[in-house]
Amino acid sequence: MNRRLRISGVLVIIGLVVEAICLLWSRPIAFVVLVVFGGALIGTGVLIFLHSLASVAPDSAHSSPVAPGNRQ
Amino acid sequence: MPTIATEVLVLFSAILACLIVVRPEITVTRAGKILAFGVLFFLPIFSLAVGMQNEMTRSESTSFCLSCHIMESYGKSLHIDDPSYLAAAHFQNHRVPADEACYTCHSDYAMFGTIKAKLGGLRHLYVYYLGKPPLPQDIKLYKPFNNQVCLHCHLGARSFEEGVVHNADPGTLPAIKANKLSCISSGCHEIVHNVGHWGDVKFWYQKN
Repeated sequence: MNRRLRISGVLVIIGLVVEAICLLWSRPIAFVVLVVFGGALIGTGVLIFLHSLASVAPDSAHSSPVAPGNRQ
Repeated sequence: MPTIATEVLVLFSAILACLIVVRPEITVTRAGKILAFGVLFFLPIFSLAVGMQNEMTRSESTSFCLSCHIMESYGKSLHIDDPSYLAAAHFQNHRVPADEACYTCHSDYAMFGTIKAKLGGLRHLYVYYLGKPPLPQDIKLYKPFNNQVCLHCHLGARSFEEGVVHNADPGTLPAIKANKLSCISSGCHEIVHNVGHWGDVKFWYQKN
Protein backbone atom coordinates (compact mmCIF):
# COMPACT_ATOMS: atom_id res chain seq x y z
CA MET A 1 0.00 0.00 0.00
CA ASN A 2 2.70 2.48 1.04
CA ARG A 3 4.79 1.67 -2.02
CA ARG A 4 1.83 2.28 -4.34
CA LEU A 5 1.01 5.49 -2.52
CA ARG A 6 4.60 6.65 -3.01
CA ILE A 7 4.57 5.78 -6.72
CA SER A 8 1.22 7.47 -7.15
CA GLY A 9 2.44 10.54 -5.27
CA VAL A 10 5.66 10.81 -7.27
CA LEU A 11 3.76 10.58 -10.58
CA VAL A 12 1.25 13.20 -9.44
CA ILE A 13 4.08 15.49 -8.28
CA ILE A 14 5.94 15.19 -11.60
CA GLY A 15 2.68 15.79 -13.48
CA LEU A 16 1.94 18.87 -11.39
CA VAL A 17 5.47 20.20 -11.93
CA VAL A 18 5.02 19.71 -15.69
CA GLU A 19 1.74 21.60 -15.43
CA ALA A 20 3.35 24.40 -13.42
CA ILE A 21 6.08 24.79 -16.06
CA CYS A 22 3.55 24.73 -18.91
CA LEU A 23 1.51 27.47 -17.25
CA LEU A 24 4.57 29.71 -17.20
CA TRP A 25 5.54 28.79 -20.76
CA SER A 26 3.39 30.90 -23.03
CA ARG A 27 3.82 28.97 -26.26
CA PRO A 28 1.30 26.89 -28.23
CA ILE A 29 3.29 23.70 -27.59
CA ALA A 30 2.77 24.21 -23.84
CA PHE A 31 -0.87 23.12 -24.14
CA VAL A 32 0.11 19.87 -25.85
CA VAL A 33 2.84 19.16 -23.29
CA LEU A 34 0.37 19.89 -20.48
CA VAL A 35 -2.25 17.51 -21.85
CA VAL A 36 -0.01 14.74 -23.16
CA PHE A 37 2.69 14.57 -20.47
CA GLY A 38 1.14 16.34 -17.48
CA GLY A 39 -2.25 14.74 -18.03
CA ALA A 40 -0.76 11.28 -18.55
CA LEU A 41 1.40 11.50 -15.42
CA ILE A 42 -1.39 12.84 -13.22
CA GLY A 43 -3.88 10.37 -14.69
CA THR A 44 -1.54 7.42 -14.11
CA GLY A 45 -0.84 8.58 -10.55
CA VAL A 46 -4.55 8.89 -9.77
CA LEU A 47 -5.26 5.46 -11.30
CA ILE A 48 -2.50 3.84 -9.24
CA PHE A 49 -3.93 5.48 -6.12
CA LEU A 50 -7.43 4.22 -6.93
CA HIS A 51 -6.03 0.76 -7.70
CA SER A 52 -4.25 0.74 -4.36
CA LEU A 53 -7.53 1.53 -2.62
CA ALA A 54 -9.42 -1.15 -4.51
CA SER A 55 -6.79 -3.83 -4.04
CA VAL A 56 -6.07 -3.24 -0.34
CA ALA A 57 -9.60 -2.95 0.99
CA PRO A 58 -10.66 -6.62 0.50
CA ASP A 59 -7.37 -7.94 1.97
CA SER A 60 -7.63 -5.85 5.10
CA ALA A 61 -11.28 -6.85 5.46
CA HIS A 62 -10.37 -10.56 5.44
CA SER A 63 -6.97 -10.64 7.08
CA SER A 64 -7.40 -8.24 9.95
CA PRO A 65 -10.93 -8.36 11.24
CA VAL A 66 -11.61 -5.66 13.75
CA ALA A 67 -13.52 -6.46 16.89
CA PRO A 68 -16.70 -4.39 17.20
CA GLY A 69 -15.39 -2.62 20.26
CA ASN A 70 -12.01 -1.76 18.69
CA ARG A 71 -13.19 0.08 15.59
CA GLN A 72 -11.53 3.43 15.02
CA MET B 1 -8.81 31.62 -12.83
CA PRO B 2 -5.71 33.82 -13.34
CA THR B 3 -2.43 32.07 -14.10
CA ILE B 4 -0.84 33.05 -10.79
CA ALA B 5 -3.76 31.56 -8.79
CA THR B 6 -3.55 28.38 -10.87
CA GLU B 7 0.19 28.21 -10.24
CA VAL B 8 -0.41 28.52 -6.49
CA LEU B 9 -3.05 25.77 -6.63
CA VAL B 10 -0.76 23.46 -8.59
CA LEU B 11 2.23 24.04 -6.32
CA PHE B 12 0.06 23.64 -3.20
CA SER B 13 -1.19 20.31 -4.56
CA ALA B 14 2.37 19.21 -5.31
CA ILE B 15 3.55 20.12 -1.79
CA LEU B 16 0.72 18.11 -0.22
CA ALA B 17 1.53 15.20 -2.50
CA CYS B 18 5.15 15.40 -1.29
CA LEU B 19 3.83 14.96 2.25
CA ILE B 20 2.15 11.69 1.26
CA VAL B 21 5.29 10.49 -0.53
CA VAL B 22 7.56 11.28 2.42
CA ARG B 23 5.22 10.00 5.12
CA PRO B 24 2.75 7.50 3.62
CA GLU B 25 2.08 6.11 7.10
CA ILE B 26 -0.13 9.11 7.86
CA THR B 27 -2.79 7.48 5.69
CA VAL B 28 -3.38 4.88 8.41
CA THR B 29 -5.72 7.21 10.27
CA ARG B 30 -9.11 8.25 8.93
CA ALA B 31 -7.97 11.88 8.56
CA GLY B 32 -4.89 10.66 6.67
CA LYS B 33 -7.07 8.61 4.32
CA ILE B 34 -9.22 11.65 3.59
CA LEU B 35 -6.08 13.72 3.04
CA ALA B 36 -4.67 11.11 0.67
CA PHE B 37 -7.91 11.03 -1.30
CA GLY B 38 -7.90 14.79 -1.59
CA VAL B 39 -4.22 15.01 -2.46
CA LEU B 40 -3.92 12.06 -4.83
CA PHE B 41 -7.34 12.16 -6.44
CA PHE B 42 -9.33 15.37 -6.12
CA LEU B 43 -6.64 18.06 -6.15
CA PRO B 44 -4.59 16.70 -9.11
CA ILE B 45 -7.70 16.32 -11.28
CA PHE B 46 -8.98 19.73 -10.24
CA SER B 47 -5.57 21.31 -10.87
CA LEU B 48 -5.33 19.69 -14.28
CA ALA B 49 -8.81 20.86 -15.23
CA VAL B 50 -8.08 24.41 -14.08
CA GLY B 51 -4.71 24.37 -15.86
CA MET B 52 -6.27 23.18 -19.11
CA GLN B 53 -8.99 25.81 -18.85
CA ASN B 54 -6.25 28.39 -18.28
CA GLU B 55 -4.40 27.25 -21.40
CA MET B 56 -7.62 27.25 -23.44
CA THR B 57 -8.32 30.84 -22.42
CA ARG B 58 -4.74 31.83 -23.15
CA SER B 59 -4.95 30.26 -26.60
CA GLU B 60 -7.53 32.88 -27.54
CA SER B 61 -5.09 35.75 -27.04
CA THR B 62 -3.47 37.62 -29.90
CA SER B 63 -0.02 37.22 -28.36
CA PHE B 64 -0.52 33.43 -28.24
CA CYS B 65 -1.30 33.23 -31.97
CA LEU B 66 1.57 35.54 -32.84
CA SER B 67 4.07 33.58 -30.73
CA CYS B 68 4.53 31.22 -33.71
CA HIS B 69 7.25 32.57 -35.97
CA ILE B 70 5.15 31.94 -39.06
CA MET B 71 2.46 34.32 -37.78
CA GLU B 72 4.79 37.27 -37.23
CA SER B 73 3.96 39.01 -40.50
CA TYR B 74 0.24 38.56 -39.81
CA GLY B 75 0.78 40.30 -36.49
CA LYS B 76 2.66 43.06 -38.26
CA SER B 77 -0.20 43.46 -40.72
CA LEU B 78 -2.40 44.56 -37.82
CA HIS B 79 -0.29 47.71 -37.55
CA ILE B 80 -0.41 48.80 -41.18
CA ASP B 81 -1.34 52.46 -41.34
CA ASP B 82 -3.94 52.15 -44.07
CA PRO B 83 -7.69 51.87 -43.39
CA SER B 84 -8.23 49.80 -46.51
CA TYR B 85 -6.45 46.93 -44.75
CA LEU B 86 -9.43 45.26 -43.07
CA ALA B 87 -7.58 43.47 -40.29
CA ALA B 88 -5.52 46.55 -39.40
CA ALA B 89 -8.56 48.84 -39.38
CA HIS B 90 -10.46 46.48 -37.07
CA PHE B 91 -7.50 45.97 -34.74
CA GLN B 92 -6.42 49.60 -34.47
CA ASN B 93 -9.93 50.96 -33.96
CA HIS B 94 -10.83 48.22 -31.45
CA ARG B 95 -13.69 46.96 -33.59
CA VAL B 96 -12.41 43.62 -32.32
CA PRO B 97 -10.85 43.19 -28.86
CA ALA B 98 -7.16 43.93 -29.42
CA ASP B 99 -6.07 41.12 -27.09
CA GLU B 100 -8.26 38.54 -28.88
CA ALA B 101 -8.05 39.88 -32.42
CA CYS B 102 -7.17 36.65 -34.26
CA TYR B 103 -9.67 34.53 -32.36
CA THR B 104 -12.52 37.01 -32.83
CA CYS B 105 -12.36 36.90 -36.63
CA HIS B 106 -11.05 33.37 -37.17
CA SER B 107 -13.40 31.36 -35.01
CA ASP B 108 -16.88 30.39 -36.00
CA TYR B 109 -19.68 31.73 -33.80
CA ALA B 110 -21.77 28.61 -34.35
CA MET B 111 -22.33 26.03 -31.60
CA PHE B 112 -19.06 24.15 -32.12
CA GLY B 113 -17.05 27.11 -33.41
CA THR B 114 -14.70 27.19 -30.45
CA ILE B 115 -14.05 23.44 -30.62
CA LYS B 116 -13.38 23.68 -34.37
CA ALA B 117 -10.97 26.55 -33.75
CA LYS B 118 -9.10 24.57 -31.08
CA LEU B 119 -8.88 21.47 -33.29
CA GLY B 120 -7.64 23.67 -36.12
CA GLY B 121 -5.03 25.05 -33.74
CA LEU B 122 -3.83 21.54 -32.90
CA ARG B 123 -3.51 20.84 -36.61
CA HIS B 124 -1.47 24.02 -37.06
CA LEU B 125 0.75 22.94 -34.21
CA TYR B 126 1.33 19.56 -35.84
CA VAL B 127 2.25 21.16 -39.16
CA TYR B 128 4.44 23.76 -37.46
CA TYR B 129 6.51 21.28 -35.44
CA LEU B 130 6.29 18.01 -37.38
CA GLY B 131 5.19 18.94 -40.88
CA LYS B 132 6.33 21.35 -43.53
CA PRO B 133 4.85 24.76 -42.73
CA PRO B 134 4.05 26.94 -45.74
CA LEU B 135 5.50 30.38 -46.24
CA PRO B 136 3.45 33.07 -44.47
CA GLN B 137 2.21 34.49 -47.78
CA ASP B 138 1.09 31.03 -48.92
CA ILE B 139 -1.20 30.42 -45.93
CA LYS B 140 -4.80 30.15 -47.06
CA LEU B 141 -8.10 29.75 -45.24
CA TYR B 142 -9.52 26.21 -45.19
CA LYS B 143 -12.77 27.50 -46.70
CA PRO B 144 -14.06 30.88 -47.82
CA PHE B 145 -14.51 33.36 -45.00
CA ASN B 146 -18.02 33.06 -43.60
CA ASN B 147 -20.00 36.31 -43.64
CA GLN B 148 -21.63 35.28 -40.36
CA VAL B 149 -18.37 36.12 -38.59
CA CYS B 150 -18.62 39.71 -39.89
CA LEU B 151 -22.37 39.87 -39.30
CA HIS B 152 -21.92 38.79 -35.70
CA CYS B 153 -21.01 42.44 -35.04
CA HIS B 154 -22.13 44.33 -38.14
CA LEU B 155 -25.65 42.99 -38.50
CA GLY B 156 -28.05 45.71 -37.45
CA ALA B 157 -25.35 48.37 -37.39
CA ARG B 158 -26.37 51.56 -39.20
CA SER B 159 -23.18 51.76 -41.25
CA PHE B 160 -23.82 48.26 -42.54
CA GLU B 161 -27.59 48.32 -42.98
CA GLU B 162 -27.68 51.79 -44.58
CA GLY B 163 -24.32 51.69 -46.37
CA VAL B 164 -24.53 53.19 -49.86
CA VAL B 165 -22.83 50.30 -51.61
CA HIS B 166 -24.74 47.72 -49.59
CA ASN B 167 -28.02 49.28 -50.77
CA ALA B 168 -27.06 50.20 -54.34
CA ASP B 169 -28.74 47.04 -55.52
CA PRO B 170 -31.77 45.68 -53.64
CA GLY B 171 -30.37 42.18 -53.88
CA THR B 172 -26.99 42.99 -52.32
CA LEU B 173 -27.91 43.15 -48.64
CA PRO B 174 -29.98 39.93 -48.63
CA ALA B 175 -27.20 38.16 -50.55
CA ILE B 176 -24.61 39.27 -47.97
CA LYS B 177 -26.82 38.16 -45.09
CA ALA B 178 -27.41 34.79 -46.75
CA ASN B 179 -23.65 34.33 -47.22
CA LYS B 180 -24.14 34.21 -51.00
CA LEU B 181 -22.11 37.34 -51.62
CA SER B 182 -18.84 37.28 -49.71
CA CYS B 183 -17.77 40.40 -47.83
CA ILE B 184 -14.13 39.46 -48.37
CA SER B 185 -13.72 37.75 -51.71
CA SER B 186 -16.35 39.57 -53.78
CA GLY B 187 -13.99 42.46 -54.40
CA CYS B 188 -15.35 44.85 -51.75
CA HIS B 189 -13.22 44.22 -48.66
CA GLU B 190 -10.60 41.97 -50.22
CA ILE B 191 -7.53 43.59 -48.63
CA VAL B 192 -7.25 41.82 -45.29
CA HIS B 193 -3.70 40.89 -44.27
CA ASN B 194 -2.12 40.82 -47.76
CA VAL B 195 1.07 39.33 -46.37
CA GLY B 196 3.79 39.33 -49.00
CA HIS B 197 2.14 42.08 -51.05
CA TRP B 198 2.55 45.13 -48.86
CA GLY B 199 4.80 47.21 -51.04
CA ASP B 200 5.61 50.53 -49.44
CA VAL B 201 3.18 50.62 -46.52
CA LYS B 202 3.60 52.55 -43.27
CA PHE B 203 3.00 51.12 -39.83
CA TRP B 204 1.19 52.55 -36.83
CA TYR B 205 1.87 51.56 -33.23
CA GLN B 206 -0.14 52.72 -30.25
CA LYS B 207 1.71 55.15 -28.00
CA ASN B 208 1.74 54.11 -24.36
